[in-house]
Formats: sequence, structure tokens, C-alpha cells
Amino acid sequence: MSMVDAAPRAQGRIRRLWRRAPASLRIGGLILLAHIVVAATGPFWAPYDQAQLFTGPPLSPASWEHPFGVDQLGRDVFSRVVEGGHIVLLLSVSGTFLGLLIGAVLGLVSGYVGGWFDEVTMRVVESVISIPFLVLGLLAISAAGPDWSGSPLLVVLVVALIYAPRIARMARAAALDIVTRDFVTIARLRGESVWSVVRRELLPNATGVLLVEFAVRAGYAPVLIGSLGFLGFGMRPPSPEWGLLISENRSLLVAAPITVVGPGLMLASLVIGLNLFTEGVARILGRSVQIAQR
Amino acid sequence: MLVLRLIAGRVLVSLVTLWMVSVLVFGVLEILPGDVASRILGREATPERLAALRAELHLDDPAIERYGRWLGGILRGDLGTALTSQRPINDILAPRIANTLILSAAAFALYIPLSLLPAAIQALRRDRPVDHALSAVTLVFVSMPEFLLATLLLVVFVAYVPLFPAVSIVDAGTPFWEYARAIVLPAVTLAIVMAVYAVRMLRDNLIEVLDSDFVRMAELKGLSRARVLWRHALPNALVPTLNVTALNIAYLVGGVVVVEKVFSFPGFGSLLIDALQLRDLPLIEATVLISALVYIGANLLADVGAILLNPRLRGTA
Repeated sequence: MSMVDAAPRAQGRIRRLWRRAPASLRIGGLILLAHIVVAATGPFWAPYDQAQLFTGPPLSPASWEHPFGVDQLGRDVFSRVVEGGHIVLLLSVSGTFLGLLIGAVLGLVSGYVGGWFDEVTMRVVESVISIPFLVLGLLAISAAGPDWSGSPLLVVLVVALIYAPRIARMARAAALDIVTRDFVTIARLRGESVWSVVRRELLPNATGVLLVEFAVRAGYAPVLIGSLGFLGFGMRPPSPEWGLLISENRSLLVAAPITVVGPGLMLASLVIGLNLFTEGVARILGRSVQIAQR
Repeated sequence: MLVLRLIAGRVLVSLVTLWMVSVLVFGVLEILPGDVASRILGREATPERLAALRAELHLDDPAIERYGRWLGGILRGDLGTALTSQRPINDILAPRIANTLILSAAAFALYIPLSLLPAAIQALRRDRPVDHALSAVTLVFVSMPEFLLATLLLVVFVAYVPLFPAVSIVDAGTPFWEYARAIVLPAVTLAIVMAVYAVRMLRDNLIEVLDSDFVRMAELKGLSRARVLWRHALPNALVPTLNVTALNIAYLVGGVVVVEKVFSFPGFGSLLIDALQLRDLPLIEATVLISALVYIGANLLADVGAILLNPRLRGTA
């Protein structure tokens, strides 16, 4: 076979996969792709600098120059939304990933080792989960003190703190199911260390569960980060994070509703895209999933 | 006896969890490295104020002793004194909790029809346009953060159709009619957020039940569609939804924080935010502990419900 037909052949395969994918995956994937493209390229083509003052008359409604209007300080809301995209995406993905990492290790080790280690870990996990997640986030942020205020690292750590125990509970349940199988017993009898069994036997078999869990949590992370920003505990002004944007423009609601509706539409469409995508992935993996878990 | 033992076990686990939350909350706020007093005062710290605050919070006592005193107070029903207002926390909490309970009751009253009706319509018109349309609508609402939904409701009902007040500030002297008007938007927000979860689950449960033999039997007996749905199918589909409803109560504790803040409603949630913003340590500890108590209580309720409704355990009590 020559190298020449390899490309169209691969293209045909992608096209076939695409046609066979569930509709939710296709629609969600397109929405998600659009958001990623906007977030990655936005800072280069945004009509104004997001921080530029006096781009137009303050409180202007939607127009061709200012699709999402102009805020109190005369900043172009559309440019702010477009330049805020990568902040929302990066914080969401890194926070969720860190939570997945900690939660998966904790849950898998706990499920495999068992005994008092498992008992203590799970009691701690349960008690962290029983503080409502938003309250937990706010508590952690206020415990961190004023020096950390508005730090993106703190937001990432808080998302991880909220997700890690929930993911750990899920990973432990998966581990309890896997440890009953023969290959785990054999690995243990071979004298392999805990870490090696968890990494080489449990992890590969829990990938599906963890993947869906990651997608579900990542789908809710923008809401979480937005809520923190909206309440004044997440990112701080002048960051163009979307929840913060919505909170700042709330006072302009009557004069220029588009300054709130615009960023709101972006946030909602991102979460819808993530949810649809997750539902599609879960369907392919043959798992049912309750989207947007709180 | 088995049922009683299972329930007692669940209650015990809940109590242990609650105790661990109290250790966690106290530990995070008062034992974490760094000086508590300077963390509270921030930039306003002067040596005199730091010393005064340390004395007031007894920060020079060992942590274990402070924790013991705090826990002892709670067990006697005394949550302590707020730092900022110097009033007993019990007195501050009472009206706030009353407001939030009224708000939650209103939200639940709206939640029931908002979850039953769409689910019933979807199940009866399965895979028809109206089913798909409602699925799309619930997906949109599931994906919408509370603060966004609340803000959008404000846009519509305050800016365009001025039916409701933009801020729901109420107190003991507010006349009933004003109070009711003020509570509508926050209650609708909470009800929608809770209902969309129940709708998605109830629809699937209803379809499963409608396909079962006893429903077909009822149809063959010639009962009306409405009677089959409401008397035969729905009660059986509701059991799994009870779990969602208990979880929705648990959700409410966190949900009211955002929604009360958006509408400036003086309830428990906005008190929690205020306490955090003012860094009023005793008030933060009290409100966080209460929110965990409600969360744990709701989950316990769901577990006990599941135990009681489990037919395999029937007759063993």
C-alpha cells in the first residue's frame, strides 16, 4: 500500500466514526470545539483589548461594534467574554484534573488496601462531602486568607478539593469490584507492591469509570468557578472570568440586559456542550450517566 | 429487628460523620498554620487589635481546649457569640433560618408540579416532538448555573414585566402580601433547578413502569388513561424519585447560598456569605456546621426511606 491513499483512508474512517457517533456527541463536540477555538484564538481577534476603557458610551445596548454592549467603565463586554474563555476552560480542566488525580489514587489505594486505612480514608471523605460543595469551596477560600484572594491557583485547588473526595468515592467502588478478579490476586501473590498493583492492574480497568467521571465533573466546573466568582470569592476584578463578569454587570441589568445575557449565553452553551459530549461518550462506553451532578 | 438495626447503624454513621465535620471545620479555621487573629483582621491588624482579638477568641489556650469548649457549647445548644455584632449566634440565626424554611417550603410547593407534569407529558408522548422539546428544555436548565437563572429571571420580571421586586429584603414587619411577592422569584429559581433533575429521572422511571405488565393489565381492564397514569404508574415510578427529592433537600442548603445572595433575601444562605465576608469565625463555624447537619440529615432520610421501602426487608421489623 502506498503512502498516497493513507490520508483519504484515514479521512474516511473518521467520517465513518463521526456518522456512527450518537447525536449528543456530535452536537456537544461541535459546541465544545467552537468554545475551544474561541478561547484559544480570542485574545488575537477580539475587537478591543478586554481591559480597554471608553470603547464606547457606557451602558450601550447591543450593536455591531459592541455585540454584548458596553459596561459601566466603557469596556467592550464581547471582547471581555472572548478573552475570558481560556481562563474559564483552563481553570476548569486543571482543577478537575487535579481532583481526578488525587481522588483516583486515594480511592483505588483505599479500595485495594482495605482495613483501617480504608475505613479512616472513607470517613474523612464522607465528612468532606457532607459539607455542601459550594459552602466547602467558600470555607476553603476564606480559610486561605486574604493573601490568596483572587489567585487562579487557589481556584484550581478549591475545584480539586471539592471534586477529589467525590471522585475518590467513585474510584473506591470501582476498585472494590476489580479486586475480586483473579488477575489482581495473582499480582498480589507475585508479591507486587501496592502501588504497582494499583497502577498496573486497577487503573487500566477503572479507566472507563474515571473518564466519564472526569467528563461529568469538568462539565460542572465552569458553573462552580463562575459561582465562586459571582459571589466575590473566586477570580477578582479585573479578570474577565464569566461569573465575575455577570456579577459586575448585574447592576446594569435594567439599562443594558445584554451585558449580562451575553456572557450568560456563553457560559450556558459551554456547559450544554460539555454535558452533551459527556452523555455521548458515556453512551459509547456503555455507561449511563447523570449529567451535571451537583 | 433487621430494619431497626440497619437504621440504627445509619444514624450512628451519620453522627460520626457530623462529629468529623466539626473537627474538620474547627481545624481548618482555627488550627491551620498561620495566626488566626491576623488572618481575621487582614490589613487592619495593629498589635493592640491583634492582642484584643486573641484574648476574645482565647487563642492562647491550647487548640484541644478551645475545641472542647466550642463542642460543649454546641451540645448544650449554645453556638457562641458573633465577633462582629457581639450578639448570641442563636438570636442571629433564628429569623434567618425561619426565612429560609419559608423560602424552601415555597420552592418545594412549586417543585412538585414542575417535576410531575413535564415528566408525565414526556412519558405519555414518548419519542414524539413534545418529548424531545421538553428534553432539550430540561437539558438547558440543567446546564444553567443558579446565579445565571436567577439573574435572567430578574431581567425578565423586573426589567421587562415589572411584577416582582428586584431585591427581596424582608423582615418581621413585612406584610404578608409583600413577603409573598418578594419570595416568588427566589422560590421559582430553586424550584426549577431542583425540578429539572427530578424530571429527567421521573420520565425514565415512568416509561419503564408504563411498559410493565401490571400497567398493561390495567389498560386491558379498560381503565382510563388518566387513571392508569395517576393511580397505577405514578406511585410506582415515584419510589426512586424520593431519593432525588432527599438529595434535592441536601442541594437546597448550598443552593440557597447563591439564590438568596442574588435576591438579597435575608435567609440562612446570605448569612453564611456575610459571615465569610466579615471573617466572623464563630458565625462561620456555626453556619457551616448547620449546613452539614442538614446535608447529612437529608441523606440519612434518603437511606432510611430506601431501607423502609425495600420489599426484601418487609416484615422483618
